[in-house]
Amino acid sequence: MHVYQPVAGLQSPAVVDPSAANFVDLKLSVYCLPGDFLEPQEASALCQKVSLLFENQGAVVQTSTTARGLRDGDLAAELGQTDAEAGGPADLVLEIRSRRLHQSNDTLWWAASLSTLTIVPAITESTFAQDVVVRDASGFVLVSDSLQGRLVRRFGVGAWAGNAVLNKLLREEPDKVTQDSAGEALSDDLYRQLSQLVFNADVQRRVLQESASWE
Amino acid sequence: MGVIIFLSLVLLASTTSKDPSPGWSRSVRDSRNMDCERMDGETASARHPGLIEAPGPRGDNIERSALVCRERVMAEGLRPARDEAVLMDLDDTVSGFALAAGSLRSDLTERTWLVEVHYPSAPVSSKIAFAAKNALNSQGLRVSDRAMTLSAGDVSVLTRLPPGEAWPAACRRYAAGGLGEGDALLAVVTRDPRETQLHAGICDRGQWTWLL
Repeated sequence: MHVYQPVAGLQSPAVVDPSAANFVDLKLSVYCLPGDFLEPQEASALCQKVSLLFENQGAVVQTSTTARGLRDGDLAAELGQTDAEAGGPADLVLEIRSRRLHQSNDTLWWAASLSTLTIVPAITESTFAQDVVVRDASGFVLVSDSLQGRLVRRFGVGAWAGNAVLNKLLREEPDKVTQDSAGEALSDDLYRQLSQLVFNADVQRRVLQESASWE
Repeated sequence: MGVIIFLSLVLLASTTSKDPSPGWSRSVRDSRNMDCERMDGETASARHPGLIEAPGPRGDNIERSALVCRERVMAEGLRPARDEAVLMDLDDTVSGFALAAGSLRSDLTERTWLVEVHYPSAPVSSKIAFAAKNALNSQGLRVSDRAMTLSAGDVSVLTRLPPGEAWPAACRRYAAGGLGEGDALLAVVTRDPRETQLHAGICDRGQWTWLL
């Protein structure tokens, strides 16, 4: 049984509705950077999902999965390449970098679990961060945040039976822990926060443009 | 068998009660109502002495890590999401505005600062104004409680302009009205009902500058 806990940022209040047309005709480049938490294939899959998220909100999205971050020196080259592929400069560049902050898989838990016929669950957990940076076309950082969460896996008949009883007797619908609830809740939180961060960055970009036009 | 089950339940209860993730002793909503930080054992022990045991001076061959959580003052859903987002970061936001305002130009430190807030909720507006004045004060700037007013005709024209043009135009009207040469105005505004951040601009001698 997996449970998900938002640690920091992922549970922040968000106003943007990801199902609405929030980014009509916005040109967005999305970079997904693999790390110790996401393999390149997983980063690529994340990029595809994020691309779909913003396309559904009206943006024109270009995705890229690279093994390295966007440093100041190579940003122009990266953006130039993306510009050529997308037929124009991106309005915003979204960079998502995944990191594992902590992982535990304690053998003592497994010993306790096995010696009690798995009534005591064996617990493994992983704390991760999705570092999000949104830049404008010139590479200026408009918004950055670190979205952190935790995935806890409780293995054993005790965890399964206890959870089933709690789901059936005590928990209300939003509090029920099911096989799919961890993944669904994590995706909901991540997509809501990404939409909000990019929206905030887009407003910042427009204010900067107005500011420049008045100088 | 009974003994195993009893010992298992005791062990389970003692180990899961402190875990902040949703589970036997904590609901999903309770778990979402906390902000947590993952830190190493030494840092956690230094910040929370007595609660978290410090690692031995020579180490103890165990990788210690602590997840330190703090319950939010207002539970999720009690306030509108936008108000909650703005108020959660208000201190940092207005401190940034005040720092930027004071360091934009050296002559601005000699001005008397007025604060104006444009936010749809009146109670939140007053909180933002209070925090902004405190932040300006803590930068060593002179702050006044005086409020700027515009004529009905000015308001009628300005509210029809897009925000990018309205603020510079309002600034010129303020300069022609009660905003003197020794005054500067810090305006804290929200630009879109879907954003969760605030913007700030300065009106000084009829010149409008966005601080972001």
